[in-house]
Amino acid sequence: MNWLSRFNGPQTLGEGGVFWSLFVVTVIVLATVPLYAEFFIVNNLAYFLLWTFMALGLSLIWGHAGILSFGQTAFFGLAGYGYGVISINLGDAHGLTWVAFVGALILPTLLAAVVGYFMFYGGVRDVFVGIVTLSITLVMETFMAQTAGPEWAIGTARLNGFNGMSGMPPLTIPWFGDDSIMLDGNPFYWFVLALVVVVYLALRWLVNSRFGNVLVAIRENPDRAEMLGYNVRLYQLAVFTIGGTLAGISGVLYTTWGSYITPSAMGLTAAALPIVWTAAGGRKDITTTLVATVFLLWVSQTLAVKGAQYALVLMGVLLLVVVLLAPDGLVLLVVRGIGRVFRRGQPAGSNNGAL
Amino acid sequence: MLATVIGFLYQFADTFAFLILSSVGLAIIFGMMGVINLAHGEFIMCGAYVTVLTARAGLPLPLAMVLGALTAGIIGMLIEYFVIRRLYTRLFDSIVATWAISLIATQGMLIVVGPSIEGLKTPFGSFDLAGLSFSWYRILLPVIALLILGGIYWLFMKTPFGVRARATIQNPSMARALGVDTDRVYALTFGLGAALAGLTGALYAPTMTTVPTMGSAFIVQSFVTVVVGGADVLLGAAPAAAVLAFIQSVLTASYGQLIGQVGLLLTVIVVVRVLPKGISGWMLRGSN
Amino acid sequence: MKTRKAAVGIAAIAAAIVGITTPAIGADPVKIGLLEDQSGNFAIAVIPKIQATQLAVEEINAKGGILGRPIKLIHYDTQSDNTRFQEFARRLIQRDKVDVIFGAFSSASREAIRPIMDRYKQLYFYNNQYEGGVCDSNVFVTGAVPEQQFSTLIPWMMEKYGKKVYTIAADYNFGQISAEWVRNIVKEKGGTMVGEEFIPLSVSQFSQTIQNIQKAKPDVLVTLLVGANQASFYEQQASASLNIPMASSVNVGQAYEHKRFKAPALKDMYVTANYIEEIDSPASNDFKKRFHAKFPDAPYINQEAANAYNVVYLYKMAVEKAGSADMKKVRKALESGDICTDGPSGKVCIDPKSHHQSHTIYLVHVKADHSVEIPKVWNDIKPYWLGSVGCDLSKKDDTSQYTPSSPPKK
Repeated sequence: MNWLSRFNGPQTLGEGGVFWSLFVVTVIVLATVPLYAEFFIVNNLAYFLLWTFMALGLSLIWGHAGILSFGQTAFFGLAGYGYGVISINLGDAHGLTWVAFVGALILPTLLAAVVGYFMFYGGVRDVFVGIVTLSITLVMETFMAQTAGPEWAIGTARLNGFNGMSGMPPLTIPWFGDDSIMLDGNPFYWFVLALVVVVYLALRWLVNSRFGNVLVAIRENPDRAEMLGYNVRLYQLAVFTIGGTLAGISGVLYTTWGSYITPSAMGLTAAALPIVWTAAGGRKDITTTLVATVFLLWVSQTLAVKGAQYALVLMGVLLLVVVLLAPDGLVLLVVRGIGRVFRRGQPAGSNNGAL
Repeated sequence: MLATVIGFLYQFADTFAFLILSSVGLAIIFGMMGVINLAHGEFIMCGAYVTVLTARAGLPLPLAMVLGALTAGIIGMLIEYFVIRRLYTRLFDSIVATWAISLIATQGMLIVVGPSIEGLKTPFGSFDLAGLSFSWYRILLPVIALLILGGIYWLFMKTPFGVRARATIQNPSMARALGVDTDRVYALTFGLGAALAGLTGALYAPTMTTVPTMGSAFIVQSFVTVVVGGADVLLGAAPAAAVLAFIQSVLTASYGQLIGQVGLLLTVIVVVRVLPKGISGWMLRGSN
Repeated sequence: MKTRKAAVGIAAIAAAIVGITTPAIGADPVKIGLLEDQSGNFAIAVIPKIQATQLAVEEINAKGGILGRPIKLIHYDTQSDNTRFQEFARRLIQRDKVDVIFGAFSSASREAIRPIMDRYKQLYFYNNQYEGGVCDSNVFVTGAVPEQQFSTLIPWMMEKYGKKVYTIAADYNFGQISAEWVRNIVKEKGGTMVGEEFIPLSVSQFSQTIQNIQKAKPDVLVTLLVGANQASFYEQQASASLNIPMASSVNVGQAYEHKRFKAPALKDMYVTANYIEEIDSPASNDFKKRFHAKFPDAPYINQEAANAYNVVYLYKMAVEKAGSADMKKVRKALESGDICTDGPSGKVCIDPKSHHQSHTIYLVHVKADHSVEIPKVWNDIKPYWLGSVGCDLSKKDDTSQYTPSSPPKK
């Protein structure tokens, strides 16, 4: 299990045999869902999972590096529109949608790098970062909302204003002969799931590497980190850029899932959501953020189905309870509760197992 | 020419009043306590609803407005006591808590009072000048905005409560050691911020549609003004609102509402980049 | 073991009760999916729509359902949120396997679910007034469109008040496309546009706009403002004594501003609507009576409520004509050209070419005390535009939305 040590460390919760066995079991269970569950459940699960990248990115830049970005949706939206523009112009033959996929990730990465450089090298800090990023996402929303006319087109792709851009093809894998596999339904789900696993492991490795430790040092005290000789601004820029790319992944996947992207995806309400997910997950840990995001998406959808007009009120009450009763986030509260039940009767301190 | 000048001055004063009034409650809660209050708009909505409902029940408008502000203030203190008080050591979580409160308040109002209520008529009528007609009430709003700013300055600088509040905000443990009841100061400060937000709702209630989501019309402007103002809200709010109002009214008058809105946000980005600590940070450079 | 026996007993009783109360034993229900905003920004105009749909379903079920099958209405609250529309459209199609979907208020939410309808070839009715131009094989539209509302309204206003027109419009698809219609009609009728202003949806303060209008001195002010923020314009223009006759296609009929604002904020507002509560005809009065009997607390019965009510009956007729709820057959039936219903607003028919609907258009005049008169009624106004530029869904499939400045390629 030595290679596992790269994914463990002080910056992540969950290590040891029990945790990783649980991890493998979870992945296997999730991967086999399409074999026994109805089509709708698979589709819905893919939808929940596709949002987690944005939350993971925010956990990285906010939880680990202490930068509160209120505008991750700017990168989300840019990637979505990027995918739309490129894929509508190129079409879906010969796997060209993957060119659109990659292109649509380069755009938010570049934007994040430029914005990050502009802020961190300009001495913008703390809550000011939140307002600058929020302003950027709102500017993009307001601008895109009025691009309804036919003059607002890039190539053959109409931006279509507030009503949103549609008509982009889903991702396709070229196959032998004329067949190609369209990433819709089960293949799309497996693709998203695989991407979640890869990104999750990559982030665990990243935050437990030297880079991750420096980030935490910067979060705890930027001045001290600077004194110790670390190029604080470079680290902040790097982590912010990675966060932008991750939000971009969510944006592209969302756009292909529904063949639709709209300026509202960059609005104030949308911008607050990843912050709520990340904060409810305890924000400082990759695993808890991932679990909390999927859980909250599921709860809010279930409430909307069952709760009629009370759904939003109940969602509010739930969040309030979580914040008040679970200072370290929802997931840890539950895990500790379960741990307490299991540990009953054992001598205290004998269990350093799962979490 | 005269019409243009008068028109512009009116625009500037109008935008200035809107920015000051939308941000003043937030400036106290966010600027002084660090609580990122996403329910700010809902305190405004609360003030507006109480004003409209009581005024339509027959209460004179000024009294209805005071009642709106008081109600928002009392609700604010209750929320501080039951929720915010537990979050002072982890301020970021106040984002989730206040977001939750905002969800509950908006949808709760929709369920209880319905999707909309009949509004009020703007008082005082209008006057003609240089071929244009203006609403008296909207001339009054900037004056009230300045009076409120003055009142807050007086409250925090010249009264014993202000001294205690500033002491608590600068160094809570030291203030406690010196015998200040910091819990009470926090509750009162939060309540004051909520009451001022409620007053804003009350003042704009006769000029806007009263719907449960009306608070969202204020929220962006409020955060932007407070942040551009910088850490010292007493010092920063007025110049920040003046700068932003000037730029927004010039852009709106010359290029239309879209450029006015986008321009406001772009100005924020530039100002924060040039003055990373906001306007008050820049004014106070060199000191301490 | 005792408990198991008891459970079996209860189940048997329950089955017996269900068997008795279901209208036709063994008849599967016709499943209608409804996506409407019961919460959030649009709730104000949408709640009457939901109620009207429920009323129509209840009436039809009381009379034996469709082809002897009861209707099962599955409503999800989409919370004025486009992503909810996407989630629930898929849910209705894949999990509930509904026969038809009704609903959506804002054009953005319609556009959010239209790709899903097209991907799964799902029959969908957009039962709302909008900017027009959707030419989509899987979509039927029962709301009014610009050619119905503006070709009536604008010439009438120019005739009565004068030829100088100023438009203020919400800066998005609906406002821009509607403004284009107004501009074209004004030009065609020999008038002049003395101003045109587009306003972002987030704007709630209108001092500058009011001044611009005063300087331009128009005879008619066309207000195509949308949403709660922009509705504040009316109180603000009244307090500045703007005093210019206003014309609109969206106000009063949707969010009953004349009931919500203090008079005289909407003085001399003229609106073309295909229904409002104040219409005093036998059909309308009968509809109102049934509506209020079921929903005594309903604040207002708006135009979209009538559209939502009609659509259930239109769908019933089409299914009966097709002899089945099979979506392909129902679509064929809808394209037959004789699917009409006598609703609260008069007779309405589906146009086979464009999948849109004819309307009776009422000119609504809001007076100084906010009471309402109807100086003019246009009967049977056809949705002619899409057909005239080459959209013919009965012959050629399509999934596009066209506008006067980007019509179908010939």
